[in-house]
Amino acid sequence: MILHSLSVANWRSLLTSVELGPFSERLNVIHAPNGTGKSSLFEAMRRALFDAHHVSGEEIEAVRPWGRSLAPQVKMEFTQSGVRYRVEKIFLDGASAHLFRFEDGKFLPLADSRNADTKLREIIAASDAPGRGLSKHEHWGLAEVLWAPQGALHLDSLSSSVTENLRAALGVQLTGESGSRLEELLEERYQTYFTKGGKPRTGKQAAPILALESEQESTVAERQQRLEHQQRFEETSRAVEDARQKRGQARFEADAIRESVAQTSQQAETYLRLQSELEQKRLTEQAVKERFDAIGKSLELIGNVREEISQVQSKIQSGQTLVSELAAELQKTNDAADAARGKRDETRRQRSSLDDRAAEVEDASAFVDDSKAHQTLAARLEKLKQFEADLKKRKEQRAALVAPDDKTIREVRKCLAAHEVAEAALRASLIHLTVQPKKKAIIRSKSPDKSQTVTAGDKAKFSGSPDVRIEIEGFGTIYASGPEGDAEAHQEALQDAEKKLAKLTQPYGTQDPDRLQVLREQANGFDLTIEQLESKVAELLDDESADELKPQLAELDARIQERLGRFPAWKKQPPIVSDLRSALEKQRKAIETAIETAEDAFDKAQSAAQAVQKRHGQAEAELKNARLNLDAAKVRLNDLTKDGQSDETRAHDRQEALMAWEAAKIKAKDCETKLNEIPGDPQKTLQKLERQLAALEEVEAKARDEENQAEGRLQNLAAEGAYSKLVACEEKLADLNLRIRREKLRMDATKLLYDTVATCKAAVVAAVAAPVERTATHMLGRIAGPRLGNVRLTENFVPAGVRPEIATEPVELTNLSGGEQEQLFLIVRLALGQVLAKEERQLVVLDDVLNATDTGRLARVLTLLEECADRLQIVILTCHPERYRGLEAATFFNLQEKL
Amino acid sequence: MKFLHTSDWQIGMKADSVGRMAERVREERLEAARRVVQAALDNGAEMILLTGDVFEDNAVDRLLVRKTGEILRAFPGPVYIIPGNHDPLVPGSVWEHSVWKEAANITIFSKSESVELAGCILFPCPLHEKYSTKNPTSWINAKDVTKPAIGLAHGNVEGIPNGEPDYPIPRDAATRLGLDYLALGHWHSFARYDADDGSCRMAYAGTHETTKFGERDSGNAVIVEIVQRGSPPKLTQVKTGRLNWCSLERTVDQPQSLEALVEELGKLDPPDVSLVRVLIGGVLFPEDRHALIRIEELLASRFLFGSLDSSSLIPAPDGEGWIESLASGSFRDAAVKLRSLAAQSANPEERAVATQALLQLFELHERSRA
Repeated sequence: MILHSLSVANWRSLLTSVELGPFSERLNVIHAPNGTGKSSLFEAMRRALFDAHHVSGEEIEAVRPWGRSLAPQVKMEFTQSGVRYRVEKIFLDGASAHLFRFEDGKFLPLADSRNADTKLREIIAASDAPGRGLSKHEHWGLAEVLWAPQGALHLDSLSSSVTENLRAALGVQLTGESGSRLEELLEERYQTYFTKGGKPRTGKQAAPILALESEQESTVAERQQRLEHQQRFEETSRAVEDARQKRGQARFEADAIRESVAQTSQQAETYLRLQSELEQKRLTEQAVKERFDAIGKSLELIGNVREEISQVQSKIQSGQTLVSELAAELQKTNDAADAARGKRDETRRQRSSLDDRAAEVEDASAFVDDSKAHQTLAARLEKLKQFEADLKKRKEQRAALVAPDDKTIREVRKCLAAHEVAEAALRASLIHLTVQPKKKAIIRSKSPDKSQTVTAGDKAKFSGSPDVRIEIEGFGTIYASGPEGDAEAHQEALQDAEKKLAKLTQPYGTQDPDRLQVLREQANGFDLTIEQLESKVAELLDDESADELKPQLAELDARIQERLGRFPAWKKQPPIVSDLRSALEKQRKAIETAIETAEDAFDKAQSAAQAVQKRHGQAEAELKNARLNLDAAKVRLNDLTKDGQSDETRAHDRQEALMAWEAAKIKAKDCETKLNEIPGDPQKTLQKLERQLAALEEVEAKARDEENQAEGRLQNLAAEGAYSKLVACEEKLADLNLRIRREKLRMDATKLLYDTVATCKAAVVAAVAAPVERTATHMLGRIAGPRLGNVRLTENFVPAGVRPEIATEPVELTNLSGGEQEQLFLIVRLALGQVLAKEERQLVVLDDVLNATDTGRLARVLTLLEECADRLQIVILTCHPERYRGLEAATFFNLQEKL
Repeated sequence: MKFLHTSDWQIGMKADSVGRMAERVREERLEAARRVVQAALDNGAEMILLTGDVFEDNAVDRLLVRKTGEILRAFPGPVYIIPGNHDPLVPGSVWEHSVWKEAANITIFSKSESVELAGCILFPCPLHEKYSTKNPTSWINAKDVTKPAIGLAHGNVEGIPNGEPDYPIPRDAATRLGLDYLALGHWHSFARYDADDGSCRMAYAGTHETTKFGERDSGNAVIVEIVQRGSPPKLTQVKTGRLNWCSLERTVDQPQSLEALVEELGKLDPPDVSLVRVLIGGVLFPEDRHALIRIEELLASRFLFGSLDSSSLIPAPDGEGWIESLASGSFRDAAVKLRSLAAQSANPEERAVATQALLQLFELHERSRA
């Protein structure tokens, strides 16, 4: 298609009719500022060619100029397939469509109204418009590729008709006749099972195999469960069998043991009997033996007693002699002891004289101590008396002295200072008037009201506040006044100070602070002296009072007098205690030595007497014992022989007992031999066997319990009919497996078919798209250099990305810059346009594109556009005409000038 | 002396080769059991001998045991049963069910010891476990008996290639043991073992209702008549099975061969008790595509059960005219590729998938043209 002219009226901002043309068959640039109506021109071209004139709706209503009831109009002249046409369309009010064909030098009507719309679409090979609505991108036919609306240079998809056109233009058939339908059916079949990504469908539209597999999975789990039940049934059956075997075995073994128990029991009875017999025989043996021993013992005892009587009688005789001798010796030693005792007692009596002498020494010592204490105490009392008299005198002196304390003195000094200040202030606040008359004058002052006579040449001073008024007789009144001040207040302060001072010093008779200080120091001197005296008194008393000391002195005096009464000699000559004590010690030693000697002698004598007495007692006791023993032996002998038998008879009896004993031993031995023939104690064996039997019976009982329990379980399991359930489950599983196999075969086949077709298609497309990719790659290289590598297109001819030489993987469009993206889309459109232009020049319309392209690349793009103009008519709509001034052969249309 | 010999009822057996018809097949086995009892009545049998495997397993549903017991209880004469290797006499076995005690005419043999009846002596060989290498008849000595001696055993007659010996029974067991007849169970097909003199003293009755596809000479019971001790038994087979297990295998090497199969299936009677399995291999010619679809339809609609396995079919290497009818482009290229894959791939599974894919393309192509 070649566009020759365009006329638009009542179209959005274009109120008046705008006519553009004739257009160059190569390059055209329509330029105007923003809002002028460039895009309205583009829109009008689209509506004229692709939309039915009778369309309605909000979208076409929006084309009507704002606030006006005008019908949008468009006229276009173009050439298609070598034939020139003109189309005229009015939309909305009075909508109409007229198609003319240039014949014989003029345009003749070709079709009107809807026929015109239909015919026009046939001519330009556009697909059917959608009813009464406006056409969409996919209805534009080849313009879908060649026309780029403002802001829509991107090429995301192409309609199937355009794709087919492109393929047709490239001379390649992808799916053949009715291939689209077949493709749709295949797609439909494929999507029954798979998503576009090739995964089995899930959710509501899930592939049937998924439901089958899910059921299979649950059935497999169920089968496992059934199988376990079946196995449990068989295991329990075996368990019952095992328990029966166990019980049978236990019973068998128990029977065998029972027999052993019976045999052993019999043996045990024999053993017990023999044991009893042996015991009895041993008892008999023991009795006979005891008789033999008893006779022997009796004979032995009789002999022994007879011997004992003989010995005791001899012992009694010698004992009697000894007792007589010891009695004489005892008398003798007792006499010696009595003599020693008398001498000892005599010596001890000398000790009493020592006690008197010791008492005297003690008295002497106490007398000396008391005398010393008496002297000391008397001296202390005398000294105390002196201190107390002195202290009394000082305290009287101190009491007579009235002296201020330090605080009072400080207060006085403070009052005096205040007084001086008040006085100075008062003086300062008074008016002073000095009169020095030349002759005697009587001067009367008013305040205070007094008169005074002042001799000539003397000075009389008058002070007052706030004024001084004097009257000089014969002269008159002098009135002096000064600045007003607060003399009255000062006067009051002065009086206060004086009152306070008088009050403070009244007891002391002076207001002189120095004098007051002297008084204070005098008082301090008295206080110090009193304190010192009191300290000395306290020291002398040492926590005692004089009243306490005086009785002590009297007591000492009484004790001294009492001793002097007993020892009058001490008045003249006081005793020497050490001499008295030395004499006493000497006497004591002599007496003690004598006593010790006498006591030793007595002890020896007494010991000797006691020893003899002891021996005498022992001899008497032994003699007595011997006599008692003799009596006892005689009694025993009588007992032993009371049967009256002779010794010979007893010996005979003893011989008989010995023979009986030997016979009993032989019988017991025989019995023991029989007992030893039985190995071990059958009773123990019997007990063991009985324990074994009990254990086996327990095993049998336990096995019976186990059997009963297992049988109970088995009955329950049998009632379940585990095998039948397992069978049903396995049949279901087999059916599912079969269905899954079939479904899988169907799915695999569909996938194989789909993938095979896709592979074949991809191979064809790769072959088809290759020339376009080559052209686009060449163009992109010229604009952007070799960096971006090869352009990659999808099977539907839209850019998929680029493959730089240095990259192993293709780079997606989104990874390119904005400028490179628009350059890539432009060159793909131009490359496709060139493919389509093989048969006929095609119109390319670019509305406000390449805004993101830099100046350098834009120049190369313009060169490319100029080259493309050899096959394509290019119309550029822009608000930047200066960017396209480089297009040497372009025709420029200033839209603004046309308005 | 006339009795009915039957075995291997396999009540409660699994039938996973017939999909959802498995339950029906199980029910048919009970129906066949009723027909066995009826046959005994019809043929004047004095007793029924059931030689093992009455049940598929000892853990079958107890309701089935009850039903089976009731069926046998309906027979007016005595019924003698030995447990087989599928239902051995073990704790918890089907033989502990109360129905056997309730049915006075039924005797379950639990010991290998002879039982003398009025007209004969029975030598039962009940099994107590599933597997054994012991000959179950070895204990029998019937040489000196005067009444007809009849053995009941369950096992494998030696000489049948069956791997490890499992309850082996000598081929001449009946003669060797002095039996007039040894009623065998275990094998599902009828089989008789004739002696050198032509008499048959030992036979498998086979199962009373066929259990699976390809099982020959099954679905019968045997009426045995013994006139007196020593005389050769007279064996008469009676049909007791009803299900028709039909397995058809065809290899296609000529176009339009499948039409014959369509016709054959159309004539197969009675369809309501027929279980049909069809396996088709060979080459699938374009002309046979519709026949294949027809076979599928027949199998799905006409019979009690039908299944088709055509996975080993491969498309004809040439002569696929419809492929050439596809316009040049990706679909035609894909069809050629799939045909090649279906015919030449070494992997059978891959061949099957490719064949199926080609069939799908054919179907879609047909629809796109409709």
